[in-house]
Amino acid sequence: MKKDIKWGFTGISIIVGLMLAIQFQTVKQPKIKDTRDGWELRTQILAEQQMQSKLLTEIRELEEQASSYETKRSHNKESALKQTLNELKQEAGQTKVTGEGIVIKIKPLPEAELLGETIHSISPELLERLLNEINMYNAEHISINGQRVINTTVIREINGEPKIGGFSLGSYPITVRVLSSNAQNLHDRIKVSKVIEQFFIDNLSVEISDPVKELAVPSYQNPLKIKYLEPAGQE
Amino acid sequence: MWLPIFGLILGVMLGLLTDIRIPDEYSNYLSIAVLAALDTLLGGMRAYLQNLYDEKVFVSGFFFNIILAASLAFLGVHLGVDLYLAAVFAFGVRLFQNIAVIRRILLSKWSKSPEKNL
Repeated sequence: MKKDIKWGFTGISIIVGLMLAIQFQTVKQPKIKDTRDGWELRTQILAEQQMQSKLLTEIRELEEQASSYETKRSHNKESALKQTLNELKQEAGQTKVTGEGIVIKIKPLPEAELLGETIHSISPELLERLLNEINMYNAEHISINGQRVINTTVIREINGEPKIGGFSLGSYPITVRVLSSNAQNLHDRIKVSKVIEQFFIDNLSVEISDPVKELAVPSYQNPLKIKYLEPAGQE
Repeated sequence: MWLPIFGLILGVMLGLLTDIRIPDEYSNYLSIAVLAALDTLLGGMRAYLQNLYDEKVFVSGFFFNIILAASLAFLGVHLGVDLYLAAVFAFGVRLFQNIAVIRRILLSKWSKSPEKNL
């Protein structure tokens, strides 16, 4: 074979091989067999539908917000900005909030006191667990001993003393105020929650009040430190 | 003689190893293109055996046939007529003819060569 003939032929045959391989892979693509039965598919569909409706609600809310911004912007720029600022402040815990909620009181167990057992101060892990549990049941605003709990609040032990954002939680009772739009639900769920038993192991009793219509949660008092945020450039 | 076969194997390996996939909608076009390419390849081999081989005709025919086949399939999709069947038919017939010619040439070569040796 002449040299140039060889190379032309080889090049073309490489291309043909490549095409063959790609076609082969494309055709045999669905390798994994779908072995789910009807019931599993039904649950899958249900989950997807829930997801869809959730997303749709979210979209609608955002669209409403956008349209309200749009109308407000055309009316009054300043008031729209102020309202947004207030909304953001409320979300960040910078304002005092009142609303429906429950009060949780953590006290030493009387029986333990009677027996003369030493009552240790509450462990941060236990308190965090309680907060996680409360948050799981749709709590909106929380304060502990008058200290507002926000996203960046730290609960830790310093020199054997539990502290929340720098304030001591050494003495009992500890009062946790929780606001929720569905306080009854929150109350019922917290009452049967496992975390209450954990408190019992630590010789602490937990008292959960009935839902209160008007409950106040104070604002966050320390200045918020913003380390990584920067104002966006003008576009 | 071995270089093109090696090239074919190299191409297949390359395609399998890189794991390239094309969308399902286009697999029709690719299958037609593969058919056209195979036809051209066999046509080239036949031409070489018949001493009619021309590099330019071969390479241009390869690309032209592929493009023609793919565009015929595309037109068929848009007209609602399975025009790609025309390409399948044409290339299929030519494929068989080419293979038959190659077989005959190779057979006659083999049957001639022992006579020389005798």
